[in-house]
Amino acid sequence: MASTLKTLPRLLRQATRTTTPTIVSSRTVPRLSILQSTSHIPQFQNALTNNTNRTFSTTSLRTRAKTMGQLRARNSTGPFSWKAALLFVVTGAGMIVYFQVEKERLARKRIAEMSKGVGRPKVGGPFMLKDLEGREFTAEDLKGKYSFVYFGFTHCPDICPDELDKMAEIIDKVNEATGDPSLFVPVFITCDPVRDTPEVLREYLKEFHPKIIGLTGTYDQVKHVCKMYRVYFSTPRDVKPGEDYLVDHSIYFYLMDPENDFVECIGRQDTPESASKVILEHINDWKREGRSLTGGQ
Amino acid sequence: MGWFSSSSDTSKASDGGRIAPDRSSRERCWEGRDRFFACLDQNNILDAVKDDKEARGKCGKEVEEFEGACAKAWVKYFKEKRVMEYNRDMTIERIKKEDAERVADLKSQGRAT
Repeated sequence: MASTLKTLPRLLRQATRTTTPTIVSSRTVPRLSILQSTSHIPQFQNALTNNTNRTFSTTSLRTRAKTMGQLRARNSTGPFSWKAALLFVVTGAGMIVYFQVEKERLARKRIAEMSKGVGRPKVGGPFMLKDLEGREFTAEDLKGKYSFVYFGFTHCPDICPDELDKMAEIIDKVNEATGDPSLFVPVFITCDPVRDTPEVLREYLKEFHPKIIGLTGTYDQVKHVCKMYRVYFSTPRDVKPGEDYLVDHSIYFYLMDPENDFVECIGRQDTPESASKVILEHINDWKREGRSLTGGQ
Repeated sequence: MGWFSSSSDTSKASDGGRIAPDRSSRERCWEGRDRFFACLDQNNILDAVKDDKEARGKCGKEVEEFEGACAKAWVKYFKEKRVMEYNRDMTIERIKKEDAERVADLKSQGRAT
């Protein structure tokens, strides 16, 4: 690319020299040698008119030009012209951009496909929990849209609140970009069902983002979903009333595609900007492949 | 007092859950923690669990505020985290230093040969 750009000014400079054909070097326009060899133009013109009879001519194409002006114009620029140069550069740049975009898309697709392949560790899967209205909520409810799953607990000292603030920013950024909030479903699953009842969760999540779906369930249901998502789970089963404890848990966001397959992890190191960029790329890839993305249900 | 007070009934939700600290009480807790840790820094105390007596003697007011604003589990967590983070930073520093030394060593060897 760089070398093309470097030669472009030279090509353009040559292209502008339309009136002085003899200056153009024979290297760029080899067929021009006939002009350079004829020092007198009238003489040349003479040769031109006689040319039809000369069967041994090596310049048959050249001679079809009707006037001197046409000939000069053609010879001065040779195969190069403003338009050709421009077309070349634009096409070249277009191809480079296209290949770059395709390459990145395929890389993302590979990441997404990797988690679908046979023999890969599977993240996610069927589960049954309850939403904050007490309704049953299963993995089926996440299909048809991208979901963004986070595990935490409301009595979390410092990391979860930070991550949930980040989640809120990501939700806003993604929804703003797609223009359809139903395509992207943020989910918070508690690891601490004993303390995090629907009422507690509702009050807690309200402070971060109204769109976050809070899920809770029985101890065993929660343990099961944590296992499905490979989340480390250390909640004590039997807690005395009033006892205070913390829960150790993994602190990743899981991006799941509309078929509820795991796509990518978003971790502590991601900023809201980098995370929403990754998510939007996946959503756009899905759309571009023409696969169904129902949302709105 | 903070949300974690002696009367545990106040932190009970109507459906049996335990109400978590909200944004403002979290912030109050973090402020208390930061003030307490600043005091520990001034007095060169690292581990407020091990050196509890010394910490309470030097930063009595701060520790009281901190423990009043945060749940017990959080107080313990933050105190332990302080030690853990200090050790982590020290380890990172040490590795960086060792790396730099090794690079310098290799460079000088390269020059010698």
